Amino acid sequence: MTLLQVNNVTKRFGGLVANHEVSFQVGQDEVVGLIGPNGAGKTTLFNCIAGFHQLTSGSVIFDGEDITALSDFQVARLGLARTFQIFQASGDLKVVENVMVGSFMRTSSRGAARQVALEVMEFLGIADTAGEMMTELPVAAQKRVALATALASDPKLLLLDEVGAGLNHSEIDGLIELLQRIHGERGVALLLTEHVLEMVMKLSHRVIVLESGRKIAEGEPAAVVKDPEVVRAYLGDHYVKRQKENGDA
Amino acid sequence: MEELGIQILKSAVSGLIMGLVFALVALGLTVIFGVMDIVNFAHGEFLMVGMYTTLLTSPLLGVDPVLTLPLAGLVGAVLGVMCYFGLIRFLLRGPMIAQLFGTFGLMIFLRNLALLFMGSEPRIIHEGWLVGKSILVGPGVVLESTKVAAAALSLISFAVVWWFINRTRVGKAITATSLDAEGARYMGISTEYMNALAWAVGGASVGVAGGLLVNFWPVEPGVGLLFTMIAFATVALGGFGSVRGALVAGILIGFIVNLPPVWDAILRSIDAAGLRGMEIHSFKYTMVYAVYFLIMVLRPQGLFGWKQ
Amino acid sequence: MEAVKNAFDFGDMPRSELWLAALALAFLLWFPAMPHSSFGMATMIQFLMFSLYGMGWNLIGGYGGQVDLGKAQYVGIGAYTTAVMMIRWDVPFWFSMPVGMALAVGWSFIIGYPLFRLKGHYFAIATIATSLVLKDLFEVWNFVGGARGLEIPMKGDMPNWLYLQFREDYYYYYVILGMLLVGLIYMNGFRHSRLGYQLRAIKDNEHVARSLGIDVHWSKIKAYAMATAYVAMVGSFHACYNFNIEPEDTMSLDLSVLIAMMAMLGGAGSMWGPIIGAAILVPMKNYLGSWLGGQAGFAGMDLAMYGLIIMIIAAAQPRGVYGIVEAMRARRR
Ligand SMILES: Nc1ncnc2c1ncn2[C@@H]1O[C@H](COP(=O)(O)OP(=O)(O)O)[C@@H](O)[C@H]1O
Ligand SMILES: [Mg+2]
Repeated sequence: MTLLQVNNVTKRFGGLVANHEVSFQVGQDEVVGLIGPNGAGKTTLFNCIAGFHQLTSGSVIFDGEDITALSDFQVARLGLARTFQIFQASGDLKVVENVMVGSFMRTSSRGAARQVALEVMEFLGIADTAGEMMTELPVAAQKRVALATALASDPKLLLLDEVGAGLNHSEIDGLIELLQRIHGERGVALLLTEHVLEMVMKLSHRVIVLESGRKIAEGEPAAVVKDPEVVRAYLGDHYVKRQKENGDA
Repeated sequence: MEELGIQILKSAVSGLIMGLVFALVALGLTVIFGVMDIVNFAHGEFLMVGMYTTLLTSPLLGVDPVLTLPLAGLVGAVLGVMCYFGLIRFLLRGPMIAQLFGTFGLMIFLRNLALLFMGSEPRIIHEGWLVGKSILVGPGVVLESTKVAAAALSLISFAVVWWFINRTRVGKAITATSLDAEGARYMGISTEYMNALAWAVGGASVGVAGGLLVNFWPVEPGVGLLFTMIAFATVALGGFGSVRGALVAGILIGFIVNLPPVWDAILRSIDAAGLRGMEIHSFKYTMVYAVYFLIMVLRPQGLFGWKQ
Repeated sequence: MEAVKNAFDFGDMPRSELWLAALALAFLLWFPAMPHSSFGMATMIQFLMFSLYGMGWNLIGGYGGQVDLGKAQYVGIGAYTTAVMMIRWDVPFWFSMPVGMALAVGWSFIIGYPLFRLKGHYFAIATIATSLVLKDLFEVWNFVGGARGLEIPMKGDMPNWLYLQFREDYYYYYVILGMLLVGLIYMNGFRHSRLGYQLRAIKDNEHVARSLGIDVHWSKIKAYAMATAYVAMVGSFHACYNFNIEPEDTMSLDLSVLIAMMAMLGGAGSMWGPIIGAAILVPMKNYLGSWLGGQAGFAGMDLAMYGLIIMIIAAAQPRGVYGIVEAMRARRR
């Protein structure tokens, strides 16, 4: 079953075309990676899907409903959660209270919200930080809290924008395992971006490649990395040419 | 009908003149806001200081009030720089709310310092080249030459500041800082210096405006608030940080403030019984606030705004 | 039911704070029985009023991060509703107060809708503008007495609980203290409500808040309405306590800023902040005034010092007194 359907999405900022006629789908139990070099338009595409940007043209269908014209908070209530690339913690809330803001999307009872929040934090292995202030946590832990908050809203699809950025190798391994469990045990479909390929390659069933706002490839991770277009997008013409020369020699 | 025509002419002329003075008052606010996104509640108090400077130094030095304008500008600039180094620099580290209160404290401080030293009675300049002379520009339309000269001098001062910001090296650095503080820092422009300079320019222009204003507007310690609000409205209308916008918006606000007499004249000329009692001359400044509110809601970037 | 439980649940506060609060409450209950001057009593009543004003401000300004500098217009609406209803139709305080609150809340919805499309400085200045417009209108509106304002006539028989007319100030003191306690309990409930959490998330980051399904615009308007109810309630009390009201002393910008300053000085976004702020600022303002303001040739000295102190606080500790306390607590850990 298709959960998310992106049809010919175009987004312009003045003269700049950030997304051009992008189409793809995400199934109900899929993990899809969205890759592309910096500035390719990944974050913009997320913003379009999540209702944060108004589309220039195209449409987005989520869970059988046309969400093109909806606001971001309405989209979120339908079960489409997201985490942000740039994440800055501040403010007055304790960790568990932060996560409760997520679970309050589904209930107005404080007790129930707290229970869901604690359960999600337990699941993500951060239950011990419940009473701390956000600002006192290291960045990796803050990102997990953001993940927990999104999960606490009980989404069907989770958009993850560069969740791995700024993490070291062992932290990335932990994250991969965690995302696999979120997908496997909680049944949440994932759509994730990354400009570092490692994580996306390990996790995704299918990969979509974006360059200068256009979709240039789509397919299984192993096949996509061999696509010459993709290699060029990532490493530049010059590298492709040299590789070819090396091959010829 | 004739009365109405005269009133319209009168309002238009007086609107233009007041508008030019308002523009000069707002200029300082917009320059400062452009460079560092801070709203100075004490702006009207700077104006008051300029007014007192001219009022006091003119008899003291034995020269005409008009000749003390550079001094009013200088006092304004020094005050601006002092405030920047003594207060604003620290406020910039805190949240926005601290900035609002810090400058509000400055406003209370300056206002009551004036009360302490100058007393509460309103004062105005009684003698000078500009005082008490008038020009007849049309049937029934008499212009006080004070106001005409003040408007002309406002325009000149405005031109000087505009020239300074757009044509001199230092001025261009101010613009660069207001467009992109980070980038300007990389280009070797010291933010600290630029901020102080913005406060100097802002203080000087509002100081001169005060020196002009006191020729026809009585000064008392509480005179500032009205002008602070007018300056806010002007800056909002012109777009926060826009110099050109401040000029056009100042004139517009001048017209708006002069609209109520026209309305009242219309009422009188049609003499409709049902409308009697709906004169609105006392709503002059209410209109300014209302206009501010409407602009902010309908067009938050102002008419020429580039900063939002 | 859960709302009631939330309102009385203080379990998430440090023990030390609760002990201090209990001590303060005991002092406040006891105060009228202790020897005091009438000036001291008036200062205490003002302190309680400003605590409530500050709590109202804190609801939207502290928890929500929306710097509102137009709270005085709601003081005015509350005060004028009570005064007009009492003078013209002989309506008792306890009926006119809820009406005033309802009118204020209605007005807050009308202006809140456009206001909350603005942010930051733009929002703050626009709130000033709305408040000043209302004040100017009241100054020419004859029905409410224009610039001269209104005076509530004495009923004769005192104490009169229905119309809130007392000869001795301690009656007023206990009425406003009661209101403060109700306000505190309600605020505690709000803190624990869904809207309370959502509002703090909005203050933190609006984009994140929206991504969690929060209708930011509507949430701000709702919180603004609640904040308004606090302020209007005390405005009604103000009318009865002062007997006469004018646009200048109920709706001025100075009052709006003073209200906001209470909360900021004490610590915006904390439950006790506004009360701490009022406990410092109100006596300071009053006693500076009576100490310096009365002396010939020193007019303005008190307020100049007051302005100076505000500047120092804003520059040195923008998070307020409660912020200092929290910083110390964090260091000890
Ligand atoms: N709000 C915006 N206004 C104008 N241009 C934008 C905006 N957001 C993104 N862009 C531009 O769109 C392009 C794509 O950016 P982005 O989606 O952030 O790329 P990615 O996430 O793939 O690195 C960039 O050139 C960026 O400068
Ligand atoms: Mg990105």
